[in-house]
Amino acid sequence: MSYFDVIYFLAFLPGLIIIYNLLPKKIKPFILLLASFAFFFTYSKWLIIFILLSSLSIYLAGLTMQKIDKEKKDAIKDLEIEEKKIIKAKYLNKKKIVLIITALFNIAFLFYFKYLGFFKGIINSLLKIFNINGNLKIIHHLAPIGISFYTLSAISYLIDVYHEKYECENNYFKILLYLIFFPTLVEGPITRYNEVRDTLFTGNKTTYKSFCFGYQRILYGLFKKIVIADRLNIFVKIIFTDYMHFSGPIIFLGAIFYTILLYMEFSGTMDIVIGSAEIFGIIIPENFKQPFFSKNISEFWSRWHITLGLWFKDYIFYPVSLSKGVKKITSKIKELFGPRTSSLFMGAIALFAVWSLNGLWHGAGYQFLFFGYYHFILILLGNIFEPLIVKICHKLKINRENFLYKLIRIIKTCLLIFIGELFFRANSLTSGIEMMKRIITNFTFKGFNHAVLTLGLDIKDYIIITLSLIFILVISILKEKNIEVRESLSKKHIVIRWACYYALILSIIVFGAYGEGYVPVEPIYADF
Amino acid sequence: MEKLIEILEELNPDVDYENCENLVDGRYLDSLTILSLISEIEDNFGVVIPTVEIIPDNFNSAKKIWALITKLEEE
Repeated sequence: MSYFDVIYFLAFLPGLIIIYNLLPKKIKPFILLLASFAFFFTYSKWLIIFILLSSLSIYLAGLTMQKIDKEKKDAIKDLEIEEKKIIKAKYLNKKKIVLIITALFNIAFLFYFKYLGFFKGIINSLLKIFNINGNLKIIHHLAPIGISFYTLSAISYLIDVYHEKYECENNYFKILLYLIFFPTLVEGPITRYNEVRDTLFTGNKTTYKSFCFGYQRILYGLFKKIVIADRLNIFVKIIFTDYMHFSGPIIFLGAIFYTILLYMEFSGTMDIVIGSAEIFGIIIPENFKQPFFSKNISEFWSRWHITLGLWFKDYIFYPVSLSKGVKKITSKIKELFGPRTSSLFMGAIALFAVWSLNGLWHGAGYQFLFFGYYHFILILLGNIFEPLIVKICHKLKINRENFLYKLIRIIKTCLLIFIGELFFRANSLTSGIEMMKRIITNFTFKGFNHAVLTLGLDIKDYIIITLSLIFILVISILKEKNIEVRESLSKKHIVIRWACYYALILSIIVFGAYGEGYVPVEPIYADF
Repeated sequence: MEKLIEILEELNPDVDYENCENLVDGRYLDSLTILSLISEIEDNFGVVIPTVEIIPDNFNSAKKIWALITKLEEE
């Protein structure tokens, strides 16, 4: 059952809302847990055992680390500072062992389902290069749904409990619900335990406001996916499959359309996820913040898939850059070239680790690694040249807050993003390179108009896409100006309010790209 | 506190550190500047900032950074 299935938002969700609200407050979280089991089962059946094992492992590890902390507190009572330090280090080592073993246990599942085939492929290639007989058999396993997302959530819980950021959870079912909660299961966001626990386990009632706001958000998500993403899908599919038959501008248009499709599909899913949780009074963190208003790549990644970026920042970037080894290397650079250069170097090492993992997280393939390193290089160059650009602007008296200057930076960022997404969507790294080559060497507008109108989209489709994008743009501008659209709408007269709801529902039904001639987009991030 | 303001001004002189309450959220301190800042704080105040403390809330104003340093000195 996908979030975009009629059965989800017209049967599963309404049925659950009724049962959930009829039951006592204490039972409510258990109903969510049962619903999540059913939801998981529709995707991955008995692979549910793996999420049970993951949740059990982090639950037990949390309790063990808490026990070690208690023992430590008893042991250091009445000791001198130096003695305290020694005892603390001893207990910290014990906790570290629990942390590492449990993290590896969880990563092992992820590796087995997602990366084993990829690494076997690399070993086979190496064996071939060195003329060694033997070939590792590559078997593709069907992974439990959402494994890439819930594993990161599980690891965040482990590390946070290790650092005593919050107390561990004593109720196993709460940990299980945290990992398996049906709205966030398939495509995230990657939540943190302390962020969601206040609303996830309290059994809040569905109010008139939470019901209306939740379904408004779901409708907005459906609009993005069904009216825009599904409409662009055929064009994108043809371009990325038969790119050798098209000229540069058409391929580049394919990359732009794919970026729009990806944003509408992923952010549309997030609207449904956040809206679904909101109905039950559960607050889920936002995963997008108007990414196409970013002035540089670094800012883009703080607005796009926010929870993944923050996960990498908190659990990879800072720990790597501030690790003893990196500090040792950079201390000499600091003496010679100053703090800015040393932190640039520190950051570069950590960024390399972040983008290697970010690329691999998106998929086991060379094109994903390339996608990661492409952004690593762009962010690194941005960091290196930023002070120089600031100086030049200062000298030339260019106001960096000027609208035109900002607009140029936004357009530049978008162009770089389109290129990155081209490699991301390409069937292989070789296809991506070939497509880029054609964009540069075959840049002719001959046959452009004909191709644009014969690849699954007609004039009517372009009008619908343009008007829909203008609608999304207006909403985005309002959000950027911190205007809460749903709050503003809720204060309008009932006639205006319901006219808006009906307009949105009708536009999805009338302008939705479904039926003959359209192929709906598969949930892209569910495969990661 | 004066020493901290001095360090911050060296890293980014165009900010009013006495009054600014959104150093991270307002993007006055990016990840790299925070790395420089941490390195300077550790050298000048003899504390080690654990990664778990690197959250926007601890770095959003000079007062909050100072509170973090004081807390770490006491531990």
